[in-house]
Amino acid sequence: MLKRRVIPCLDIKNGRVVKGVHFANLRDTGDPVEAARAYDTQGADELCLLDITATTEGRDTFVDVVRRVAGQIFTPLTVGGGVRREADVRRLLGAGADKVAVNSAAVANPLLIRQLADRYGSQCIVVAVDVRQLKPLPGETDPLYEVVIHGGTRSTGLDALSWCEQAAALGAGEILLTSMDKDGTRDGYDLAITREVSRRVPIPVIASGGVGSLEHLRQGLDPKEGAADAALAASIFHFGLYTIAQAKHYLADHGIPVRPHEAPRGVLITG
Amino acid sequence: MPREVILVDSQLGNLDSVEHALIQVGASVIVSSDPDRVATARMVVFPGQGSFGPTTRALVDGAMGAALRMVIERGDPFLGICLGMQLLFETSEESGGFDGLKVLPGRVRRFPSDMRAGDEPDAARLKIPHMGWSDVQPTGEHFYFAHSYYVETTDPSLVMWWCRYGSVEFPATIARGNVFGCQFHPEKSQWSGLRFLRSFILGGRA
Repeated sequence: MLKRRVIPCLDIKNGRVVKGVHFANLRDTGDPVEAARAYDTQGADELCLLDITATTEGRDTFVDVVRRVAGQIFTPLTVGGGVRREADVRRLLGAGADKVAVNSAAVANPLLIRQLADRYGSQCIVVAVDVRQLKPLPGETDPLYEVVIHGGTRSTGLDALSWCEQAAALGAGEILLTSMDKDGTRDGYDLAITREVSRRVPIPVIASGGVGSLEHLRQGLDPKEGAADAALAASIFHFGLYTIAQAKHYLADHGIPVRPHEAPRGVLITG
Repeated sequence: MPREVILVDSQLGNLDSVEHALIQVGASVIVSSDPDRVATARMVVFPGQGSFGPTTRALVDGAMGAALRMVIERGDPFLGICLGMQLLFETSEESGGFDGLKVLPGRVRRFPSDMRAGDEPDAARLKIPHMGWSDVQPTGEHFYFAHSYYVETTDPSLVMWWCRYGSVEFPATIARGNVFGCQFHPEKSQWSGLRFLRSFILGGRA
């Protein structure tokens, strides 16, 4: 049986983890490699690295971070942020990423999704979709959601559901759906849009934006609530509020099928 | 002395993580795209991502296909990963149909697009690809899968571990003599994946 995934996400700026990661036994809280190893050991099902650097030098640093992290973990690695063209995807996959997320560039040129999927296979291409709920007009009953780009600063006029369907039809392997209304609030995912997208598209959906508790993870993955295939979270894990293992236990206790946490048993020959 | 493994580079996806995992479990890895080098290998790992198509046709019909068959027929330990396992079988139903290496009996099929997550009429459609961690039987261990196609074999005695996705039960690992294959990605399956690779490297078994 396929399990639901828990995916911690690290925001990287100029090669460092933004805000730091607060775990016991971590010597350098801003080092992405140490943080990635810690998550991997705790039983993360996958790891996500997002580059939030704006400069060209920062991009090169990020590729180096991806290479160093990929050399330390034995679980899937998804990377994104600032991916504009095929050359960026090639560089990141070459550095050891398993999946690359495209966002604004795919909105600007949807055929980029097909081009990337044909070239590298759908299983490596994630389309990241940032959405915001539109203020309902008088008489509108169902909430409408719009796609936003550039960190939520620019609206696109695209309907979120239609765009996700189009991305799937063009060959995306997964949708990483982030609610910009919820991001950073710790109020929980936007369950309504997550559920709608997940039911509508034939590919896996990763819920993102707003997690403040383990219950929020459960809601995102519950087939009757968010119905997502995977739950992404950043701050609840960064600040050491919960470990991945605690999240897995909570989900399992509440009826969400997850891969059980397995503590390391000395398989590694080298450090 | 560490076991020397030839990791076959046949343009079917990124090899870095497989190489890294093999080194981690004690293998000495040589990456090669040279059929002559592969033909003389004492242990071969053949990974692949994606699906049957023009690239696999060129491989199967070319010198690399002949080299892989030679290793297998000679009896040296061989492990096919994901597409590398699927290519051991006869054919794929993918557009137009493509041949595999025909070492083992069976064909490669796409998951049906209408599988449901439960019995209720409003149950959600199952997503394709089958992507994420699934348990295998009889061991109950979890491995990371990412595939839209699976092997349907006419010889169930080949199957070592089974996995189920929706209504389809398919081989997670296969074994026949010196030939092994896994549908999952051991290099992405953390401890269970490293254990699997180590038992292959140490014993030429899985």
